[in-house]
Amino acid sequence: MDRDGRRGRDGPPGCDPKPARETPPARDPRTTYDRIAAHFSATREYAWPEVEAFLDGRRGDRGLDVGCGNGRHAEVLAGCAERTVGLDVSRELLEEARRRADERGFAFEPVHGDAARLPFAADAFDLAVYVATLHHLRPRSARVSSLDELARVLAPGGRGLVSAWSTEHGRFEADEGFDTTIDWTLPGGETVPRYYHIYDPEEFRADLDASDLSVVETFVSSGNCYAVVGGG
Amino acid sequence: MKESLMDIICCPMDKHDLELEVDDRNDEEVLAGTLVCTECGERYPIEDGIPNLLPPDMRD
Repeated sequence: MDRDGRRGRDGPPGCDPKPARETPPARDPRTTYDRIAAHFSATREYAWPEVEAFLDGRRGDRGLDVGCGNGRHAEVLAGCAERTVGLDVSRELLEEARRRADERGFAFEPVHGDAARLPFAADAFDLAVYVATLHHLRPRSARVSSLDELARVLAPGGRGLVSAWSTEHGRFEADEGFDTTIDWTLPGGETVPRYYHIYDPEEFRADLDASDLSVVETFVSSGNCYAVVGGG
Repeated sequence: MKESLMDIICCPMDKHDLELEVDDRNDEEVLAGTLVCTECGERYPIEDGIPNLLPPDMRD
């Protein structure tokens, strides 16, 4: 079982790896995730253990989940922060997250926005998670900009966790980072292509170093690159 | 959105403060309205309680 619970180790549920040339070009993440929101959310029940470990014992006034999806990590964040804001580019996923928060009784404030141009004031947050989202942005300059933006909104002493899919994952053979398109398959068989930049660990570190973030530590876990960061 | 979110949010383009125009609200939240950038004048809608702060080039 893979960490999201349904298929084998070689792929998240709903995903079929295909080289970019065999699939139509991936639409922007907003269109893609609005289309697959309900099915995607249903297969994203549990928080990743790396996120739980990062948040364990941390406290803050304000927490931010960038690319909050269905709110599974915002739910953990809400246990650590007085107020929790979730940003996503998909309105449909924000609706899923708000529904989850209502059903489970955690405080959650949705904001529709772009991870590369955050609509938040400088130093607004003490805690942030930016998980499995960075790899959907293109080109590289947009990814580095979004890391700059995370640095801007983190308060002095604040901490964030950044993750991206890595070449270290068993499904990839490449040693160097690359762009690809990976299909999401809806229950009726329709496929929705999603753009990814798959990071190699050195490249992930280089993009962090090129940004305004200060890097506390980096590591690889379950095929993802992670970094614990501060505001710089 | 809760009105207290105004303490945190800003214009995604120039990062200046926003001004809130309320069209509909209940005891807890602003359900519909507009956020207006005090610098560039860009208008961002609040729809069904969720502020849409996507940059204008990403909006429909």
